[in-house]
Amino acid sequence: MASTIIGAGITIEGEITTDDEVVVQGTVRGKLTAKDAVTIESGAVVEADIVGGPLAVAGSVTGNIHSSDRVDLQPGARVVGNVKATRITIADGAQFKGNVDMDV
Amino acid sequence: MAETNIIGRSSHIRGRITGTADLEIAGLVEGTVEISGELVVAAEGRIAANLNARRLVVRGAVKGDLSATEAIVLEEGARVVGDVRAPRIAIAPGALLRGYVQTGQQAAAAPRAKAQPAAAAAPRTTNNVRPTAAAAPARPAPAASTAATARPAAAQAAAPSRSTPARTAPAPAPVSSNHTGPARTTSGNAGGGGAKAGPPAPTVPVLKKGARGTLQKRR
Repeated sequence: MASTIIGAGITIEGEITTDDEVVVQGTVRGKLTAKDAVTIESGAVVEADIVGGPLAVAGSVTGNIHSSDRVDLQPGARVVGNVKATRITIADGAQFKGNVDMDV
Repeated sequence: MAETNIIGRSSHIRGRITGTADLEIAGLVEGTVEISGELVVAAEGRIAANLNARRLVVRGAVKGDLSATEAIVLEEGARVVGDVRAPRIAIAPGALLRGYVQTGQQAAAAPRAKAQPAAAAAPRTTNNVRPTAAAAPARPAPAASTAATARPAAAQAAAPSRSTPARTAPAPAPVSSNHTGPARTTSGNAGGGGAKAGPPAPTVPVLKKGARGTLQKRR
């Protein structure tokens, strides 16, 4: 499992580009571009635009989200920004402020 | 799996990585990395950044200065271009290193002051420029200052001695004297001029001339 894990004690400021799966438990500021799945775990803080494949959010995201697949806002997620994706789910208990754009 | 932080093989990070945890880098990182845990650069890792950690283990390629508060280990397969400073440094057979190496306690204190201007300079520049730019504020600064102090002194020393015997006007504009200064120092050097004008001359021929002469004599 050659994925990128940004753990709880780590802060990245800048641009992340990857073909791998990304798991964020720490802090990311800037831009996050992935071709595969992106997971923002509970406790993570992302102040960045996210471009990627399937996205699961349980942490805090401030920034626009663009997914080529689906976006799942899980309970406890806090998202401020616009979401563009083919499918989107918002779980009960997720906070969300922004526009949703599902390409129809 | 989730205990250590991993920057995967096909990941590319540009910017600043900070934190308190351990980190393993198998991807490409440009910028600066400052963590207070253990940093491992995997064999596939390629880094154009200054690295600062408690403990640093390198198996991949790094272009930039390394500093650690505890130890640095360059293992087999490591390719490092840059300065290496830590209280303890190990370089294994098979590791490649080009740069300045400093061990000991003062090495741990020094890189802190050094890393900060480099960190400020690093994040927004492009790939190849970074290590040199990072090294630039650190190393040549004292060299440039010494050169700056040495050169006017040499110019001042050379100017009056030459002006008295030769045709130079006694009080030309300082700018023009500066412009003519270097040219005359080289020419004066050839004629056996001022002792302080030495630096330009020995760059090319001194050793080779002697070596050729002895070689020819032997033949």
